[in-house]
Amino acid sequence: MAIDQKPIIYLNNAATSWPKPPGVLAAIARSLSLPVFGSGRTTGTQGEDYITQAREGLSTFLGAEPPENLVFTHNATDSLNILISGYLAGIQEKCHVLTTALDHNSVLRPLHEYEQQGCIQLDIIPFEECQVEPESVEAAIRPDTRLMVMTHGCNVLGSVQDIKAIGDTLHDHGIYFIVDGAQTAGHIPVDLRDLPADAFVFTGHKGLLGVPGTGGLYIRDPDTIAPVRFGGTGTDSFSLLHPRGMPERFEIGTHNYPGLAGLAAGVDYIQSIGVATIASKAERQTASLIRELKQEPNITIYNEHPGLPIVAFNIRGMEDDDVGFILARAYGITARTGLHCAPLVHREIDGGSGCVRLSLSWFTTDEEVRTAADAVREIARNADSTVGQA
Amino acid sequence: MRILRSVRHKVCADGSFMKEFLLDAPVTKEFFTYLGNFGEVEALPNVGEGFYKFEKPDWFSIKGFAGDTTIEVRFKKEVMALTSDFLYFLFSSYPGRTDDLSLLKQRELAVGARVRKHLYGQ
Repeated sequence: MAIDQKPIIYLNNAATSWPKPPGVLAAIARSLSLPVFGSGRTTGTQGEDYITQAREGLSTFLGAEPPENLVFTHNATDSLNILISGYLAGIQEKCHVLTTALDHNSVLRPLHEYEQQGCIQLDIIPFEECQVEPESVEAAIRPDTRLMVMTHGCNVLGSVQDIKAIGDTLHDHGIYFIVDGAQTAGHIPVDLRDLPADAFVFTGHKGLLGVPGTGGLYIRDPDTIAPVRFGGTGTDSFSLLHPRGMPERFEIGTHNYPGLAGLAAGVDYIQSIGVATIASKAERQTASLIRELKQEPNITIYNEHPGLPIVAFNIRGMEDDDVGFILARAYGITARTGLHCAPLVHREIDGGSGCVRLSLSWFTTDEEVRTAADAVREIARNADSTVGQA
Repeated sequence: MRILRSVRHKVCADGSFMKEFLLDAPVTKEFFTYLGNFGEVEALPNVGEGFYKFEKPDWFSIKGFAGDTTIEVRFKKEVMALTSDFLYFLFSSYPGRTDDLSLLKQRELAVGARVRKHLYGQ
């Protein structure tokens, strides 16, 4: 099997980053080597308090104050569901909600479900040249608009949105603003003290270099979101109603101790390098990759100036799935093809047929970027002359 | 040629059902030429050992590299129960029955009628 004989060039980091820093793997192993310490859940004193370590680490890293307003969840989709459901449960009236065509199904699907149930009226703001303009947001606002949910960085186009300007516009109208930072946290500097987001969502397994099954959210004012899940917290156990204090208000059941130990280690690793350094390297490598792909006239690049290490393209005359298959089998390059759970982006850029996405991480080497560029160019050159000839 | 087992599977973005099959022998250009009797074959012979893709609309598509013992099959999910046996038969008939395709063609006609009826009611 050809793929097993080649070293992996992993360029699917916008889905899940790989490899992980050695410290992340070590932290996970260490967390499982002793009984877990969970506040209120054990008399043991052996294990470390990974939850508090991770919370304080993430809080410092993201500028998310106070730390108890940073809540751990299963992933970004889980966080968005908690926030959207909790916001709508809290206001208890039908309202107008905004999102964008750049958004992921983790935003689009919950909102469309609520629209179908008659709970909201939904408008989707289009994008131009990979960006949602603050003026477009302003134009979409109605007197009954109460909520906007949007991505910080698009997972297909890698475009970082002007959250500051959009958030300021929304707040001028008293509109609650949930920002999906699944693609930005760990890749570019994020300081929630400066971003006008009422709630910010992150995932652990992408730019933060942790493992799947970890993620979270930050809420500036927890009272704005009603809890929608209830259960054991290890605290206030005599009460048959769920505690409303933070972070128990939104954290139910046993935590993912190994995952959060790994997430804390991932954040430590990023901080040891500096997120600005990570962003700078990513920008240089991504620009280099795009420059190379642009040499081939039959490669269509959909994002020539991304703010995140993501390159989206198609080779004319070939299906994106075939390109991905060839990259994997013939070159050992892992990419992602298809719709990337962002159907409205693709409706706009490629008619909904999907594209190939290459996404880099801090661990991507210059040599891997060159190899990937050469591989795509080689496929493109062959596609020109031979497709359809058996 | 025999399909030994399915090693991976997933539901694709277009709703098709993908199965990756492990074969008892590597596929070849000649194998895809043989498949061409039952659908359309595209090729990029200069990529790797040669990339080949067989498409039988409404049934399934097969893609793979010459010299590779795994191939990827995408079934149209709605009629997968009708077409998967034919896929196995296509593989097991190669290379032994390639001189006389009449039996395969008969089966193809019969399955095709059922597929059309299921998908289009005709």
